[in-house]
This record gives sequence, C-alpha cells and structure tokens, in this order.
Amino acid sequence: MAPRAALALVLSLLPVLLPALALPPAARADTADGARLIGRPWAEIEAEARGGEVNFFLWGGADSINAYVSDYIGGILKERYGITLNRVPLTDTADAVSIVLTEKEAGNTDRGSVDLIWINGVNFRTMRQGGLVWCGYTSTLPNDALVDWSDPSVARDFGVPVDGCEVPWSGAQMAFAHDSARLAEPPRSIPALIEWVKANPGRFTYPAPPDFNGSAFVRHVFYHAAGGVEGLLGPFDQARFDAVAPRAWAILNGIEPYLWRGGATYPNSIAQLQTLFANGEVDLSFEYNPSQFGVGVENGTFPATVRTFGLTDGTLANTSYTAIPFNSPHKAAAMVVQNLLLSGEAQLHKARPDVWGAPPGIDIDRTAPKLRAAFAALPVHPSVIPAAELAKSALPELQPEWIAAIEKGWIENVGRK
Amino acid sequence: MRSPLLPVLPALAVLALLFYGALALSAARSLGIPPAPGLDFPSLAPWRLVLSDPAVWRSAGLSLWISAVSTALSAMLAFGVAVLIRQAPAGRPVLGFLLRLNLTVPHLVGAAGMLFLWAQSGLAARVALAAGLIDGPAAFPALIWDPWALGIVLVYVWKEAPFIALILLAQSGPADAAREDTARTLGASRLQVIRHVTLPSLLPGLAAASAIVFAFTFGAYEVPLLLGASDPVALPVLAWQRFTDPDLAARPQAMALALLVALLSAAAILVHLGAVRRLRAW
Repeated sequence: MAPRAALALVLSLLPVLLPALALPPAARADTADGARLIGRPWAEIEAEARGGEVNFFLWGGADSINAYVSDYIGGILKERYGITLNRVPLTDTADAVSIVLTEKEAGNTDRGSVDLIWINGVNFRTMRQGGLVWCGYTSTLPNDALVDWSDPSVARDFGVPVDGCEVPWSGAQMAFAHDSARLAEPPRSIPALIEWVKANPGRFTYPAPPDFNGSAFVRHVFYHAAGGVEGLLGPFDQARFDAVAPRAWAILNGIEPYLWRGGATYPNSIAQLQTLFANGEVDLSFEYNPSQFGVGVENGTFPATVRTFGLTDGTLANTSYTAIPFNSPHKAAAMVVQNLLLSGEAQLHKARPDVWGAPPGIDIDRTAPKLRAAFAALPVHPSVIPAAELAKSALPELQPEWIAAIEKGWIENVGRK
Repeated sequence: MRSPLLPVLPALAVLALLFYGALALSAARSLGIPPAPGLDFPSLAPWRLVLSDPAVWRSAGLSLWISAVSTALSAMLAFGVAVLIRQAPAGRPVLGFLLRLNLTVPHLVGAAGMLFLWAQSGLAARVALAAGLIDGPAAFPALIWDPWALGIVLVYVWKEAPFIALILLAQSGPADAAREDTARTLGASRLQVIRHVTLPSLLPGLAAASAIVFAFTFGAYEVPLLLGASDPVALPVLAWQRFTDPDLAARPQAMALALLVALLSAAAILVHLGAVRRLRAW
C-alpha cells in the first residue's frame, strides 16, 4: 500500500477513533456504591456530596415547575453544597425509565446517566419490577422524619408498597376548570357532565389515554360505571374488570359523537387540551395540578374568569415521589437533593400559588411551628380551589394493572375508529 | 494491487457500525434477543402480533397515503418550478433565494407554524372571524388533527418541494438549454419541449429526489406526532407509542414495527424506481 494512501486511511479514521479513545471525565464525588451510604451520619454524606452533580429527570411540561426546580432548588444546592443540578425535561416519565432499563441491559451498573426521577404509579412499578431503583436508604435522610409513612396514600404508590424505594414530593388531586364568563354553571359530577356533553355538542373533549391526565378522566368514568370505587381497590380482578368495562365503554362511546370534532380525533396530550381550552374551542378542562390554572391566569394564558372546581362524586388524588436509580453514580448528592426537596422551607415555597401551588408531600404538623403558621397563611388564588377543600372528596388510585387494563380497553373499544 | 474499496473503507466502517449495527440490534430485539418480559426465548411472536394487528395496517395505510401524496405534490411543484426557471432564466436568482429560504427551518418548526397559523383557533381563523367569514372556531376548516392528514401533507410539501427543486436545478446545465432551443427552432411547441426534452433530462434527478422524499416522509415521526389525529396514527408514531409503553413486553413489537417501516419504505421505493425505468423507456 502506498504510504500516502496509508496516511489518508489513518487520517480519515481519526474522527471515528478519537471519541472512543477519549477517557470519560472523572466524576466528582462519585458515590455509585449505595450500600455504604445507608445509615451513615448525615454530615458525612453531605461532605461526600459536596461539589457533585445530579441529573434530575422530570416532566417538563410546566414552566412554573421547571423554574422552581432549576432556579430555587438548583440555587440552594449550588450555594449551600456546591452541587450542580441538571434538570432534564421529559415529555413522559417512561422515557427516563427506558434509559435506566437500557443501561441495565447494557451492563452499566455504576455509571448511569439518571440520578433522580420524578415518578409515581405505573412507572414506579416498572422500575421496581425491573430492579431499576435503589431502595432501603430513605430513613438515612434527616427530613424523612417529616413524612407520615403511616398514611396509606403515602406508604402505597397507586397501591404498590413504597418499601423505602422512593421519597414523597408532592400531592396531587384532579380538578376541573371552566371559564365563568363563558359558562356560568358547569356540570359538577360525572353523570351531570355526561348530560351536559350531550346537550352541548362539540364543547368538550379529553386527551386520549395513555396520556396521564386523559387516563385519569377515563378512570373517573370507570368509577362511575362501577357504581363506586370499593370493588375496584386491591389487586387486578379480571372478572370484575369484565363486568364493569363494557358499561364504561358504552358511556364513552355514547358521548363520542357530541365531543369536539365529533369525536373523530382526541387531543394527544394534556397540553393540547389546555391550548383548546385557552383558545375557547372547548368549555371545560381538567388537570391533576389545579394550581396550573392559577399560574396560567397570571401569565395570561387563561382569562382571569377561569375557576377550578372538584366533583361532588370525588376526584382522584395521589402522591408523587422522587426515586434514585440503582446505577446512579451520584447517590450521595441525589440524597442531599431529596432531603432538600422534603424540607419544610422547600415544600412551603412550592406550595405558594405564584410558584407552583402543589400540596406538600410531607405532614405539615411535623414541621416547625413557624412553618406551620406560614402554610396556614398561604394566599389562595381566586381561580384555584384550595387543596384542603378539594381533599374533602378525594378518591384513591387503582393499582397499575387496573390502569393498564383500562387504558388498553379504552384504546381498543373507544379510541379506535 | 490496490482495491478500489480501500478509500471507501472508513465511511463503510462508520456505516456498518452505526447504521447496520443498529439495524441488526433492532432485528435481534424484535425476535426477543435478549429476552423481554413475557418472552422467555427468541420467537417470532412479536412479528406475528404486529403483522396480524389491524391497527398496524391502518397506520401503514395512513403513512403510505401521507408519503405518496406529499411526494407526488412536491415532485410536481418542483418540476413546475424547474421548468419555469428554465424558460425564464432571468428570474433564477429570486426563485433560487425563495427555494433556499426554508431549507434551514426544521420540520418541527414548520409544524409548530402550521399550528399557530392554520389551527381552528389559529391566526387565519381569527382573521376570518374578525372579517365575519366564520362565527366560531368550529366553522373553520379542520386542517390539523384531521382524518386526511392535510396539515401533515402541507408541511411536507412546503419543505420538500424546494428540496427537490434545488436538486433538479443543480442537475440542469447549459447543454439542456441548448437542446431546448434546438427543439424550439425545429418547431416544437412549449408543451412538446417540456414533454420530450425537459422531462427526460430531469427524470433521473426527479426519481432519485422523490425516492429520498418518500423514504423520509414515511419514516419521520415528529410531524405526524404533532399534527396527526389520535387514530389511526402514522406507522412511526405507532412504533414510538409501543416503545414508550410502560408495559415492557411491548418493546419487541416496537422494534418489529420500526423494521416494518424500513421494509415497507424499501418496497415502495423499489416499485417507484421500477416504474420510473419503464417511464424512461416510453
């Protein structure tokens, strides 16, 4: 081979070879081995976490949440601990679960790219089933004392026992919204809603499952078809499902011709439904996070006459958590972040309606008296129904197998044209 | 003895590793290697499930419709623009600039623009409402999230027609202008020149560019995700939905769907190139 050709060959291969030869930068404060962190004094864990970085993967569809995490939480972490918080936005939490799963399949057990996930429900169950989440460390966090683990809605995530594998962050309860200037009296229960939709064609729609909020709406109808939630709690029962499902599909198929666009298509995400609501194409909307409507009114997305309301027959309520994947290389820093997220001050700031307005994941009665008073004195946005009032008619969530069956059933029996 | 393959080896190596390697991995995953939950050993079950699912074929039909219509309209528009430039070369700089204008705009941005402009509560609808042409958002024609995928086709035509036109213009040279002038001096009408001189000379470039556009529009998922109806969805969107399903048993099916996209696309292009070859003989 001519020497010039050889040189050309090597030079043309360099762009391919160099990245492979480049050594990964040594991670600061690398704490991939979680076992030795459990039970250690907190000061030691803080010291190990100092200067590290945390990749926090969370749903990025709300600017208020993004600002709270990046600016408020990220700012405190940088100032107090020198920890860099990298907020990674997701369209769907399943994407982060997918990353961890792929890393586990590739044999990556100590250099994961995900350090912390905002998670609950079906995604948490997937991570537990796949052995993808780090467990057993939560009592090492000092602020774990603020969590009421005896509350079943905290100790069980959509019916799945938490077992020290994740830490609560926020409460959530579904609320509906209407523009009081366009619609003075909205329907305030599922049966009333069904009648209202038939009387007002083209003015209502809901996101197609498996969208998180759309799936929640379908579950409300499912509870109504079942005559109440009692028989549905507990592990999945195929016979019970087969008895209730046809009634639910009949209701949803019955209102389909009266929906927006005649039911020919459904919005594919909650963001799309909010856009339709903001533009006046539909008269009703809903969200797990009713404080988002207050934020929307403040930034001009929704008119100031928007009002949120609960249903007389109850709305779904759940807790969302943060979890650390088994292969995170920054477990100490991730624990510090979780501890900060649990702290009374961070939960109070998060509960402010102009910040996020999320109900706290901790038990307020366990915080210092000054914080307790501050929680009680929180301003209430006129558009947002207070969480305490909404909580009077809270419905529990079903176990993930039920939810998967309901979503699949909707796609096959209602969504399909 | 130097092999002519040697200088191509680095590019082939990258292609083999990244592209064909990924293809092989997808094929392996679609057969259950390594085992997925609910699939203990390699089997054809994911493929059987995918090929027997009527939803998959409805999605394939929709993708075929989107690609065929987008490619046909883009090719016709691009050919018209190329003919225009050939017949009136004075307008070439202006038309050339207009063609290059949206090259740098990503498809996703074009789709977002579609939403802002042509949604039933978008800018055009609000202008129509102010002008008294319609009395509410529902009266405005549904161009987005509609069963005929009009919005998706519009975005693709808007992006791909200039792409094909630029390829055609790069192809044509002074020799073609000379041939057209010769034909005109021999008494051919404008239409006869286009049919017998311009079309045959542009056909190779048109065929190749159309094949590229077809393959791209068949396999792209971001525009149908943003502008498509909820059922049926385009085939790549269906693959993505199965891939992100919390039920991990759906993942081999997602891989099978992705490979199905590649196979159907390749089959359609082979048919297209065969037809073009017959056209050239005609």
